[in-house]
Amino acid sequence: MQTTVNDPLFRKSMRFCAWSGYMAVIFYIIGGVILGGMTPPLLNSGEAPEVFVRKITDNQFQIQIASVFMMISFALFGSFGAGIAAQTRRFETNPVFSYVQIVFTAGGQVIALLVAFSWALMAFRPETYHPTVVMMFTDFAYFCALFSVPLFGGWCVMIALPILVAEEGKEPFPRWVAYVNLWAALLYIPGQLILFFKTGPFAWHGFVALWIPYIAYFAWIWIMSAAMSKVAKAAGNEPVVGGARSAAGSVA
Amino acid sequence: MTDSITDNRRAPPVGGRMATPDCATQKHVPGEVGIWLFVAGDLLVFSAFFVVIALGYREQTELFAQSRTTLDMWVGVLNTFFLLTGSWFVAKGVESCRQAHGAASSRYISLGILFGLLFVANKSFEWGLKIANGVTPKTNDFFMYFFSFTGIHLVHVLVGLGVLLVVRNVSRRPELSKKDIRTIESGATFWHLVDLLWIVLFSLFYLL
Repeated sequence: MQTTVNDPLFRKSMRFCAWSGYMAVIFYIIGGVILGGMTPPLLNSGEAPEVFVRKITDNQFQIQIASVFMMISFALFGSFGAGIAAQTRRFETNPVFSYVQIVFTAGGQVIALLVAFSWALMAFRPETYHPTVVMMFTDFAYFCALFSVPLFGGWCVMIALPILVAEEGKEPFPRWVAYVNLWAALLYIPGQLILFFKTGPFAWHGFVALWIPYIAYFAWIWIMSAAMSKVAKAAGNEPVVGGARSAAGSVA
Repeated sequence: MTDSITDNRRAPPVGGRMATPDCATQKHVPGEVGIWLFVAGDLLVFSAFFVVIALGYREQTELFAQSRTTLDMWVGVLNTFFLLTGSWFVAKGVESCRQAHGAASSRYISLGILFGLLFVANKSFEWGLKIANGVTPKTNDFFMYFFSFTGIHLVHVLVGLGVLLVVRNVSRRPELSKKDIRTIESGATFWHLVDLLWIVLFSLFYLL
């Protein structure tokens, strides 16, 4: 729906959604990278369950704090995704893709939250649980994060499609943003390989299956947040009613 | 490849859009900037894959050399032939869309799709034969890389076939607008990328 062009409340809301994305990345870096040992991986898919327990016990408090940060990070995916859907919605007469995006956002957020839940449970009482149960919590966390390619990849595709099929000058985001989304979706694909390998680059601790999808995912959040910030500054894509958008993105 | 052309090569206009005199002397970038961003990004990631394969070769030279001899090089050669021929037809289709758009345009794209499907069939045959002989990604590191990376490439081929179907539909329109040409060129560019990635994978797995 092409609504009013100058809407300060919308701009503030978009800024909030963009910052949700930025903060999600920052909180993940604190929780998952600095403290929690998710990336780079503290654990190794090919190790014995007892090694898992020892490593987790040695870093228990740190992992528990990390889980809290990760939980906050993943909870922010909701407002981040809703902002993208809201901008998509502004250009739809009869909304479809914005609704689809909301579904993918909700699905992605829930699955991501399960990563943090599982990470927290892994460090809850590793000395009491059977070592294989601890190992399963770790597996579950990485499977939620990496094996869910159709969900997170699908989300990106659902953002790209309304941009690509839009009429000239009526795209919710610049066209290059669509290609960044398609690229991100392709980069998540190696995550599916974690089902088949416990060692090497395709295991959940490996370069191809872990690092490439993770870097792509958080870079994607950052880029989409930047795209939303641009919309919030009225320098990005704005719906136009019977006018033309200038090169700078402002409206006639 | 959809080579760089000047806009004046598109005259007579397709879809009633005439290249402006201003841009007649400018270099034409096939597709749009976004698709080239995508191509660069994908090449970057595949470069990382190629480094991973090269490191594997260095660490387990004998195993890799021995495993490679069990691959049927002619299956790889045939697949290269399928993709190169498919790309040639797609390039012809794009050229036809730009210059003398007609029924031939979509026929060329259809032939491109046919050769893409032949690639998929041949790859399935190759994989099927290997798995029937008990060779799987778990056999050794060489086959882990072989199945995984050619599998990721196969996903690219399948996505590419979907893209070519869209390109084919657009090319069947009686008149092509500038936007249609952009869609066709962008889709073709992705297909050529798939082709390029295969040539490197083919060299790494079958020839080195």
